[in-house]
Amino acid sequence: MSALPADSVPNDTPSPNRRRRGTVFFYLLHRSPVAMGLVTLFLLAALFGPWLAPYSMTDTNLTEALQLPGRAHWLGTDPLGRDVLSRLLGAAGVAAQAFLIVVVIGGVFGTLLGLIAGGLGGLFDLVISRVIEILQGFPTVLVAIVVVALLNPSLTNAMVAVGLAAVPDFARVARGVAIQLREREFIEAARGLGMGEMRILVSEVLPNMTGPLIIIASFDGAQAIMWEAALSFLGLGVQPPVPSFGSMLREAQNFLAIQPSLAVTIGVTVSAIILGLNLLGDALSDYYDTGGK
Amino acid sequence: MAVYLMGRVVGGLVTLFCVSALAFFATALAPGNPAAVLLGNLATPERIATVTQQMGLDKPLPLRYAIWLRQVLEGNLGTSNLSFRPVNDLVLLALPPTLEMALLSLLLAVLVAIPTGLFLAQGKDSWWARPLSGAVTLGISVPGFWIGLLLILLFSVTFKLLPSGGYVPLTRSVSGNLRAMTLPVLTLAIYLIPALVRFVRITAATVLREDYIDTARAKGVPPLRILLQHVAPNTLITTVTYIGLQLGVLISGAIVVEVIFSIPGLGRLGMNAVLNRDYPVIQGVVLVAATGYVLVNLTIDLAYSLIDPRIRSR
Repeated sequence: MSALPADSVPNDTPSPNRRRRGTVFFYLLHRSPVAMGLVTLFLLAALFGPWLAPYSMTDTNLTEALQLPGRAHWLGTDPLGRDVLSRLLGAAGVAAQAFLIVVVIGGVFGTLLGLIAGGLGGLFDLVISRVIEILQGFPTVLVAIVVVALLNPSLTNAMVAVGLAAVPDFARVARGVAIQLREREFIEAARGLGMGEMRILVSEVLPNMTGPLIIIASFDGAQAIMWEAALSFLGLGVQPPVPSFGSMLREAQNFLAIQPSLAVTIGVTVSAIILGLNLLGDALSDYYDTGGK
Repeated sequence: MAVYLMGRVVGGLVTLFCVSALAFFATALAPGNPAAVLLGNLATPERIATVTQQMGLDKPLPLRYAIWLRQVLEGNLGTSNLSFRPVNDLVLLALPPTLEMALLSLLLAVLVAIPTGLFLAQGKDSWWARPLSGAVTLGISVPGFWIGLLLILLFSVTFKLLPSGGYVPLTRSVSGNLRAMTLPVLTLAIYLIPALVRFVRITAATVLREDYIDTARAKGVPPLRILLQHVAPNTLITTVTYIGLQLGVLISGAIVVEVIFSIPGLGRLGMNAVLNRDYPVIQGVVLVAATGYVLVNLTIDLAYSLIDPRIRSR
């Protein structure tokens, strides 16, 4: 994917001892309360959106179209008279699905590829590194266009394309950590005990790369939400009447001159979610860099 | 060095081959018979059979791919299913706006991002470093197309200074062209800048930790000269490679910006083709974009190995 900072992944070898549970949470809360607040709000909206929404997300009511924020509709109404707050709550759910699809595809395939490349080395490393290089930086929207041309516009199809773009990020990190760990004592010990290479990778190396992988998940998840918005804006993602940040902004663009607050409200909401996840990624990087001190 | 260059060229060709296969099979396997689409109201089973044969659609897929690939290598991208115009013409018509927008916004982004990144690395303890880093994180988090909408709101709706969309060819009016291009270029540049600043800052910070920087400092070279003479050149090479790899982001961004500002470029051509299931045009757009991507990265690699002796000797 794109905006991934090179310093997001700690350079030092992760410690094999587990840290106490709960420490991460309090560290993050102290280090970046804004991130935790934004992400918590996003999670609440995504999980409980349908119950929290004051109105229907899809029922139109043309007599109430394009209202300014007021007492009946806290964030106003859209061109078809639907309650914007309710639709934003629904869009948060769609964004969370996008997040999940991308992180699962990128995480599973990327980690597997990186683990094999870094852990086994040799020809595996050569071939996989080449594949990663080709996948990396390939235009996401073009891939989405091809996928959608073959199948149909839908959230899943669009996010599969974005998930493919996330594979190299996870693979790079997993490969890096696997190479660093390969010669460590506890891996040697496992080898000495007669464990097979694949079993060592899964039961010894994998658990020690969770930190860096969670950091990547946070950044790529933020990117996933941005891509979901962009692809839905283009009409390649979620189809109406299901609310999504992108499709809502597309509708708002046509009424920019009449009701500018609509586009502003939607944009601020989606930016706040992405900002929360990016800040969380930064804070997680610090946590794993400093060992939580 | 010859081996290194050969490897790069072969790698680029492999990428292109994969993309061409992806573009072909994705569209060839898509539902719907192009012959029936072509005939429209005139379709009868016999006619469909005839046209299917004429178009070579009854042949096995690998053979069709080979025929298509040969046609493409001869420089013929086929005919649009929708307008019946040659895809070559459509692509050639759509290239100038896209190239102009991409080049101008990349130029603007580089001019802003490289100095900002360098100074951010140098002055990481200054009072302005924290707010500026915050602005970069915020910039990375804001969707680029929303920035475009805000710019339209500000400059077109509120102040009525600039058009909110459309394209004027350079040959018709230079000032009209620049007026139409201002907001799209600004949108795309603002989208590119934060990630680029972040990359330059990190790269420059690494260079600043090198021993020869300490030596220069010890010799009493002023900080600004260290930054310009030692840090900047060493940052630049890595940054150029990064930009090459980020070309995909630029292409993706350009497609979205073209749709927002109704610019008749490559991205909008591709988008309309997808929505109308115009497969030859989709294949053409994907191929042209991928070829551009591979060619630029290859050029950067070659130029890079000419500039930097450490790579030449590899």
